[in-house]
Amino acid sequence: MALKTSSPRKGGIGRVNGPEGVDSIPLRYGDDPYVWACWLYYEDGMTQGEIAEAMGVSRATVNSYLADAREKGIVNISIEPARLASLTIAQELKRHFGLSDCLVVPNDDDSRPLIGRLGAAGAQALAKMIKSGDTLAVAWGRTILSVGEHLEMGPLQDVTVVQATGGTTASFAYTPELTTAAVARAIAARCVNITAPAVVASGEMHRMLLAEPLIREQFDTLARANRIVFGISSLRPNSTIHTSGFFESVPLQHYLAKGAAGVLAGRFIDERGRPVAGPLDDRTIGISLEMLRGIGTRVAVAGGFDKVPALLAALRGGYVNVLVTDAATGAGILRADGVTSLDGKLSQRQKSVPVANSYRSHVKKFLNNPNDVVEEMLDGLIAAHKPYLEPVAGSRRALVARDGPRPGKVGLVIGGGAGHEPCFVGYVGKGLADAVAIGNIFSSPPPDPIVKCAVAASGGAGVLFVYGNYAGDVMNFEMAAELAEEQGIPIRTVLTTDDIASSPVEDKEGRRGVAGNFFVFKVAGAACDRGLTLDECEAVTRKANDRTFTVGVALESCSMPQTRRHNFEIGPDDMELGMGIHGEPGVSRERIRTADEIVDTIMDNIFKEMKAESGDRVAVLVNSFGATPLMELYILFRRVEQRLSAKNITIEASWVGHYCTSLDMVGASISILHLDRQLTDLMHHPCRSSILTVNTP
Amino acid sequence: MSESAARALARMFGRMAEAIEAEKDHLSELDGAIGDGDHGITMSLGFKAVNKALAALDLDTASPSEVMQTAATGFLDAVGASTGPLYATGLRRAAQALAGRKELDLAACRDMLAAFSEGIRDRGKAQRGDKTMLDVWLPAAEAAATAVADGRSKQDFWKAVTIAADNGAAATATMVATKGRAARVRERSLGHLDPGAASAAALVRAMAETL
Repeated sequence: MALKTSSPRKGGIGRVNGPEGVDSIPLRYGDDPYVWACWLYYEDGMTQGEIAEAMGVSRATVNSYLADAREKGIVNISIEPARLASLTIAQELKRHFGLSDCLVVPNDDDSRPLIGRLGAAGAQALAKMIKSGDTLAVAWGRTILSVGEHLEMGPLQDVTVVQATGGTTASFAYTPELTTAAVARAIAARCVNITAPAVVASGEMHRMLLAEPLIREQFDTLARANRIVFGISSLRPNSTIHTSGFFESVPLQHYLAKGAAGVLAGRFIDERGRPVAGPLDDRTIGISLEMLRGIGTRVAVAGGFDKVPALLAALRGGYVNVLVTDAATGAGILRADGVTSLDGKLSQRQKSVPVANSYRSHVKKFLNNPNDVVEEMLDGLIAAHKPYLEPVAGSRRALVARDGPRPGKVGLVIGGGAGHEPCFVGYVGKGLADAVAIGNIFSSPPPDPIVKCAVAASGGAGVLFVYGNYAGDVMNFEMAAELAEEQGIPIRTVLTTDDIASSPVEDKEGRRGVAGNFFVFKVAGAACDRGLTLDECEAVTRKANDRTFTVGVALESCSMPQTRRHNFEIGPDDMELGMGIHGEPGVSRERIRTADEIVDTIMDNIFKEMKAESGDRVAVLVNSFGATPLMELYILFRRVEQRLSAKNITIEASWVGHYCTSLDMVGASISILHLDRQLTDLMHHPCRSSILTVNTP
Repeated sequence: MSESAARALARMFGRMAEAIEAEKDHLSELDGAIGDGDHGITMSLGFKAVNKALAALDLDTASPSEVMQTAATGFLDAVGASTGPLYATGLRRAAQALAGRKELDLAACRDMLAAFSEGIRDRGKAQRGDKTMLDVWLPAAEAAATAVADGRSKQDFWKAVTIAADNGAAATATMVATKGRAARVRERSLGHLDPGAASAAALVRAMAETL
């Protein structure tokens, strides 16, 4: 709401100076007294009395204008979505698992590490619960130590904080002793440690230690606990449980094999929360699961997607009655337990769009037999592009360039699934790839046609494989590389990984290859055609890939010929950012915005990674995913050019059109290749294929 | 049953193809939620090709190992994708495990399942909990090993294996995918069964019905 400002208010009142009556609604509000009243109230901050005066109506009328405006939807009052979402998730978790309380921290503040945010929230929850005279048991862990560090409490009396398990080596900061001490210090409570190891060498030792009067006394304190706070550990490879030294790895494998899904206070539970029996059971000194479940207030503080199965197990097992987690994990737990009502509640007030009469359940396509689409496409394609390519004997899934391979030249083999046309077959020709292997729709080709391509492309100087980084393609091309090498053809591989939205920069190698492979193929093809060695071809291709950045946006998903249905739905007002070139969903779903705003988001992301300076040169590709027309691509290109020229970056070469599609998907991607002298030179190297001709008469 | 082991395996692959065909649309639907929506089609293609390849084999003279090897090649040549190399490697390892064997006793079935799941694991470099078909094959293989060690009957053996497989498939709904295309949607994969795990469970049921 805006603060009161004097000038518009004067304007408002000034109107009253005219002839008495309502005909003096200022022009800018049209004839709508509702909008006028709302504007004065919400934007100018006038009181209802002042508005009544300004509009020349009664106060009661103003009051009803404002109320009606809410009804009519002229005014929408919204709560900040991230906060509303976390409240909704907390409510839903509480209801679904019958918790006595639940606190969910929003995920909008990613500047602070999750552990810290969970610790602060856990501290807030504990501060409300702990009362004088309580005995609080504390389990070990990174998150719980963070709770202790964030905990601030008013003066309480006679509180005891007791360690819930035995101790561990002090090779890390969040040992049971330190975690307990931190919590005790924050509450100024009496601290009782368990002065025995958490895991001892034998069951015999376990019995002996528990018989010690000192330890028995400590356990008596533990048995009196009326509250407990604990973390939940997953058994995923990245869990601290593997590195904490708490458990030996051999028993861990045993528990994993028995279906353990999580660990709480050193005890293993399966996906339904049942205890998992194992070799550590009678060697572990600490609270038992049964004891834990008997405690009145059982606060679990944990978050992170990898912990979803473990958290779900703990909730199902009834070990938790107060949960502190983050919004994304909370939503994940609910989804994992099959709660679907949440999605409806989260997309607040989204009115159901009436289905138009013209609605069809199937997308129309030119088809004969849907199962034969790839074969029939190949028939047409091979016939249409005869001047450029031909099938390798015996397989139409392996096509070779007519004037591509020659003795002494490094061969370039590309390939991938069908459905991306003109990828990959359009990049086979003189100065480009020598051969292409074609799979089924969105599926990698098997090793056999890839090997045939390698043999056909080989000119005795080795063969370079360039393809997108997808699990299936990697496995098939790797198997093919092994087979080709057995036939004496040296193979090098460069995976394209240009989709910067698909993984953070730390996991650059894990990114997938999308439309930017256009540039990588062009550079690789030119390098091979120039007669560079296999080493040199590989190096410059790798460089081209490292300097290519792509982000895609989809407006509608694609439909497969066999199903003729959209692979998934993108809401009427939504877009899918970070879209790949298959039927799979993108990275995040957002409200659709203007073309310029979308390009700005994409370019901001690209600029973040591309260290381009004023005066640098780039090549630009604005690519349609299939159904987006050239008109819209040019609108996108317009803004790309504006953003680049504002940074004084020169566009050396540009392509706008269908270069790497995803059947009939509506959407587009923007790829930028950050050129240097060598790459510029190779971009201009002549080439000629069915869809790409550069500097060739 | 005096049916030869090779014939039993061929019949198993026939049953697998039927099971996949019945589940085809369901599998593609599962895949549509977190992947690219073609898993049903891919699996159907693969098992049709396996049966086509086996039809060309003389089952009276072929060994169980040869049946597996033929199935592996048939599957791989037809499919590619990621299921191609994974299942083909699994089947090849199973062929090695069955080499020299004439009978498909429970120990052979155990070894076959173990080799099969290890082949898939090695090729895909995945592990349990990654929300993949391994969340079905590894527990199934373990259940088989335990059942043999406990001296269970044939009926109990397959019952234990099927239960382990079905539980494994169901558990994938609580996992976040870290391999393959579903890994890109991260937490959005929660609550969805993994299609690869669902088809694997269908294959295990087909094995149990025929062996």
